[in-house]
Amino acid sequence: MATKERRENAMLASPMVLFLVAILGFPTLLSIIYGFSDTSFQTLRSPEFSGLDNFRRVIADDGFWQAAWFSLRFGVITAVLQCALGLFLAVYLAPLIRRHGWMVAVLIIPMIVAPAMMGLMYRLVLHEFAGPIPHYMYEWFGWSPAFLTYQNVFKTVVMAETLQWTPFAFLLFLAAYQAIPEDMREAARVDGTKPWQLFRYVELPLMMPTVYVALFIRFIDGFRVFDNIYTLVGAGPGGATTSMSIYIYEAFLRQGDIGRALAAAILLFVTAFVLLSLAQRFRRGTT
Amino acid sequence: MIKKHLLGSAALLAMLAGTAHAEVTVLGWPGGPEEAALRAVTEIYNARADVADEDKVELLFTSRDGFFDKLQVDLAAGSTAFDINLIATYSIGRYAPFMEPISLSDEADGVFGDTVLSTMQFDGQQYGVPTDLSLHFLYYREDLIDALLADESQHALYGDIAEEYLGERLAPASPEDWTWQDFAANALYFSRSVNPDSPTRYGTVIQMKNLLFNMMVFHSLPRSYGGNWMDDDGNITVDSEAYRTALELAKMLYDAGATPPDSTSYEYAEANTAYSAGQVAAMVQWNAAASELTEAQPETAAFAPPSGPEGRFTHIHGLGLGLNAAAENKDGATAFLEWLSTEEAALAYARAGGAPGLTNETVGAISEDRPDLVQVGDYASNYGFVMNGATSENALSVYEAQAEEFTGFWAGTQDLDEAMTNITATMSDLLQ
Repeated sequence: MATKERRENAMLASPMVLFLVAILGFPTLLSIIYGFSDTSFQTLRSPEFSGLDNFRRVIADDGFWQAAWFSLRFGVITAVLQCALGLFLAVYLAPLIRRHGWMVAVLIIPMIVAPAMMGLMYRLVLHEFAGPIPHYMYEWFGWSPAFLTYQNVFKTVVMAETLQWTPFAFLLFLAAYQAIPEDMREAARVDGTKPWQLFRYVELPLMMPTVYVALFIRFIDGFRVFDNIYTLVGAGPGGATTSMSIYIYEAFLRQGDIGRALAAAILLFVTAFVLLSLAQRFRRGTT
Repeated sequence: MIKKHLLGSAALLAMLAGTAHAEVTVLGWPGGPEEAALRAVTEIYNARADVADEDKVELLFTSRDGFFDKLQVDLAAGSTAFDINLIATYSIGRYAPFMEPISLSDEADGVFGDTVLSTMQFDGQQYGVPTDLSLHFLYYREDLIDALLADESQHALYGDIAEEYLGERLAPASPEDWTWQDFAANALYFSRSVNPDSPTRYGTVIQMKNLLFNMMVFHSLPRSYGGNWMDDDGNITVDSEAYRTALELAKMLYDAGATPPDSTSYEYAEANTAYSAGQVAAMVQWNAAASELTEAQPETAAFAPPSGPEGRFTHIHGLGLGLNAAAENKDGATAFLEWLSTEEAALAYARAGGAPGLTNETVGAISEDRPDLVQVGDYASNYGFVMNGATSENALSVYEAQAEEFTGFWAGTQDLDEAMTNITATMSDLLQ
């Protein structure tokens, strides 16, 4: 009986498994093969096994470490900023949103715009001669910061990412905040808890699992950032805004060094896997 | 109503079937004058009595975004979706393994000239018919320069600025006589950071974004000081006095505020916008920008880029059409390409809005309709150059690497020695 059930389960699951093998398994396998081969566009169909050569080249490449450092900084800073701002907005605006639900739709508008479009939009908005921000700053103060110089570009792309994705964190936190039973708040108030203490000792601990999830998601998204930065400033002067995704894209398509690009992608995948596993353990330990 | 829908569907299917059975399919450069010109010459070719039905040409256009990346993947995959595809000078070497050399008509030499034909050559073989030529012009505000030349009271200030920043006292000169030193002195004089009374905010705008096309614009400068990628023996010569002088000159202008501080994120569109806003006195830009800049600033004049100790040069590169090695109708495709290299086709292409680089003898026939092509042809044949190795397999990667290293120097992320060491090592790997 159990055997029959197992067989039925296997049969029912097989279409999905086959689909996943075809869609994910084949490209993954191909990536691994190319990652360990001397591969260019000329040798796509006849890659020569080269062992760990590509990995050695990636590790010896300063550009790779520069991109890794950029992605790590960008991922951490944007995730923290978005979660802090999102949390503040969710808690601060919750009473208002309870009365005017339509405000949520307005607040999440930036999230609806495609990141590549967002990059192009900032390219226009921040241009010294075409953008409204520099234009009015010149009009009013006779001066405007150059948003995209080497000195400012990191802050600018962090700001652009934060403005676009804070609404995502806000939505998660708003849902978590609204899910806190009202009687818990009432009980705390009856005990004389001040608003700040209510947030610090009752609401925040109950929202912490959501905070961890939001931080994870936003960090992953920030770490793999590509489109908005690429359309705004490209790889940046001297590679100053080259994220890991941009590094892989340029190595693959612009330099035609497919083996190195895929070796970097594999390293990125392994690192992300390890980091996420550790983060998951940490989250389990704290909740 | 149903009948109408059925008829419509049948017509649509017939059109699609027609496309699917096109005997010679050409993947062209989408949008802009290149597409319009290609459509026009294709119509002429298909109407010829000597072109068989099975050799008629159909055109295929995708999108410009990521065009060359997509084309590379298609060619590498052995796609038979097109028989003829677009190529560019800097990507010939990369695409050549998936393409076949072609023969041009007997007229081709006289129509295009050697310099222009060489933009479509790799390893001594012709891989494409040159259809559009890109080079660079010096665009300048004639009203501002004329006013400066006429106002002798300003010449002392001009000389002081040149002496302070360039180490030699210069007098204002006509842009047609400019050296790069004159260009720099003019850029400094018309910048408010140097001369608070300047009528423009910046004297020039240099496209310094980490982008390979910006390197092409920059290269006219080091070349005029004798710079090249490699010598005749194949040694990498980028770490030279010529390149160092050129890079330092551009950085000096950036640091002095003669070009917008955001220039390190500028490419074609941003630079044109700055000039069009009336806040830039002169710039070196692609010839394709002529109408846009002139329309925005009617007092704009154009000339070849300034000269250096080794002469006056303009980087040229071309777009063209070549033969896909996996083409299903090679005979038909070859016949079309051969015709495309005739005087009849080149002139028709030019009349329809294309920008072929034509010899003085050929361009005369359309000089009234397209006076800009006279200038393009003249500059291409007199000042045009292609760096040694710039059509090789890894040319695109060389431009990319230079963009990364040179923009790093300009932005201050690394010093010149470091940039030179890095680029020499990278170019040695890529070209040797």
